[in-house]
Amino acid sequence: MTAESFGSAPRPFGTVLVANRGEIAVRVLQAAREAGLRGIAVYSDPDAGSLHVEVADNAVHLPGDTLAETYLNAGAIISAAKSSGADSIHPGYGFLSERADFAKAVEDAGLVWIGPPAEAISTMGDKISARIRMVESGVPVIPGEELSVPDGAKHLGVLAVCAARVGYPLMLKASAGGGGKGMRAVHEPKMLRTEYEAASREASAAFGDGTIYVERLLIGVRHVEVQILADSHGNCIHLNERDCSLQRRHQKVLEEAPSPAVTPDLREAMGDAAVTAAKAVNYVGAGTVEFLLSPRGKFYFLEMNTRLQVEHPVTEMTTGIDLVQKQFEVAAGLHLGLVQNDVRLSGHAIEARIYAEDASKGFLPAVGRLSFWKSPQGPGIRVDSGVRQGDVVITDFDPMLAKLVVHAPTRQAALRRLDTALADFVALGVTTNIGFLRNVAAHHAFASGNVTTEFLDSTSSSEFAEPGADPAVLVAIASAAQRLGMDRAPSDDASDSVDEHTGHSGDPFRTLSRSFP
Amino acid sequence: MEWSVGDDSRRYTAALVDSDGALSLSSLQLDGMELDSPDVSITRDNLHGRLRVEIAGTPRLVHVAKVGDVWWIHLDGRIHVVRAHEPGSAVAEPAEGSLSAPMPGTVLEVHVKEGQRVREGQTLVVMEAMKMEHRVQAPRAGVVTKLHYSEGDRVDVGAILVEIGD
Repeated sequence: MTAESFGSAPRPFGTVLVANRGEIAVRVLQAAREAGLRGIAVYSDPDAGSLHVEVADNAVHLPGDTLAETYLNAGAIISAAKSSGADSIHPGYGFLSERADFAKAVEDAGLVWIGPPAEAISTMGDKISARIRMVESGVPVIPGEELSVPDGAKHLGVLAVCAARVGYPLMLKASAGGGGKGMRAVHEPKMLRTEYEAASREASAAFGDGTIYVERLLIGVRHVEVQILADSHGNCIHLNERDCSLQRRHQKVLEEAPSPAVTPDLREAMGDAAVTAAKAVNYVGAGTVEFLLSPRGKFYFLEMNTRLQVEHPVTEMTTGIDLVQKQFEVAAGLHLGLVQNDVRLSGHAIEARIYAEDASKGFLPAVGRLSFWKSPQGPGIRVDSGVRQGDVVITDFDPMLAKLVVHAPTRQAALRRLDTALADFVALGVTTNIGFLRNVAAHHAFASGNVTTEFLDSTSSSEFAEPGADPAVLVAIASAAQRLGMDRAPSDDASDSVDEHTGHSGDPFRTLSRSFP
Repeated sequence: MEWSVGDDSRRYTAALVDSDGALSLSSLQLDGMELDSPDVSITRDNLHGRLRVEIAGTPRLVHVAKVGDVWWIHLDGRIHVVRAHEPGSAVAEPAEGSLSAPMPGTVLEVHVKEGQRVREGQTLVVMEAMKMEHRVQAPRAGVVTKLHYSEGDRVDVGAILVEIGD
């Protein structure tokens, strides 16, 4: 697609504002450039020098200290679009991406919303209404009770009765939930109160709604999700599955396509169910239908994510379809240009999420300055990064720094490529999970393709401990580095230095073609 | 200069000898005890931030960066930290067995009392940051010797939350 085709589309646009930050903002802004569209970034104070601002054609500052004032401020973002001449908004993932009221406000402002219809977002966003719609459409759901438990401990009696009917172990979930927030497993009745309070509190903090519902906790299952694409002309296809069973406290760690547990027949059945689910809410755009897959090959609807997902690159690598490009085309009212039979499955892809966190200290977020950052390169290696060398990692935002995605003809080859690429990933100055990812990917359970969603949480962290190096060698290297003056900034690091007079970085390109209102 | 490696608080001292720009260890001590020096020869690489390190005759390229007092070292696909200390300075300020807050946040729950025996991996404190709850867990078995915060307290990065002794 070219700028001309977007300009003459049924719903034409030429400039995309990306209402996000980090790697996904960079990804979408680059896709916009490829499509011949202009890209506008938004940024809050800590992000003034961030990579996503640099790759945009233009950037608009969002004043304020909190997320509510900045990246979650629908009004400010729509104003930014208007003031910068953007005629469309891409929300990325997280932030406002699954807020139906934002989708509607964007459309009401006369801008093109690069996402699904507001109604599809709100039906799927309320997990209780989504369950009911799936049951009506014949999509299998997890045994449970749609009965909602509103915020507040007074309803514990209702909850206890409901929990007893569903049976233990069970799962408490936030109706407004997602991303593992507001979700708690309860293994016995005496833990119900504690876990309910934690889930409700987390849900209230994250979503402003502490409503909880109850589902059976399925044991020994895999997390398998199906990517779908739909246009506004009634065409809807699936792009195969991704397996995200390797999770830590419901946060995905490694994702792969295809799933080692999915046969061609099962792929077709799950794909059909995903398309049915999407059609049940008149879906348009890119979306993901998440399922739990039992060891016997039965699958259950978990939830639908009405947005682009973090792990979308593994689908892109194995199908050759650029999902962000398709999002642009479909939002412009163009036809999908693909039928189910066009979707291929080529080789195997694995994604590893690079986080600033310390696996040896309970995965607590790490901070600091990325004084050295060199990502791996080579055939079948893709790095979607939101940071670059010299950036300071703070705790204001999600600790994900980048995504490493590898693609190879077979799963075995992809695992070897992943290990090599992680070994070549040099991130110094901030503690990351790179070593942990290497150890997890090399663990025989993952290597054999047999992990379930409980694997990481139920396996002692000592099984993923870093192999130490000879401390004497490390001391020799440190003292030699000190002697050789490796800590003194050489001339090629001048871009990191801040001008004492202006307070700005010395990089002459940093302020090029950018407005700072 | 004295050095400590990773979370280990023991101090090393190293003496280097320079032959034609290649540095090697002439002596190595751990807490004052002489150790066998490994066969290491280190030269500066042309690219910034990189050293050429020969270990027992096998060369490899090693990335290094210094942040504060800490040398970050990427060696053979793994990242390590070595901390520099002024000779004779007090053993690492956060005493061994203490758990510090790695980020600013709020203490949500305190699960232990002073004097309580804890096992490795046991949750001591639940913190909240970035709308997520984080469990601060015991790095080893021991006894809680000091609790510095209680529920609802705001903590800064680096604040000592809990101290664990034997």
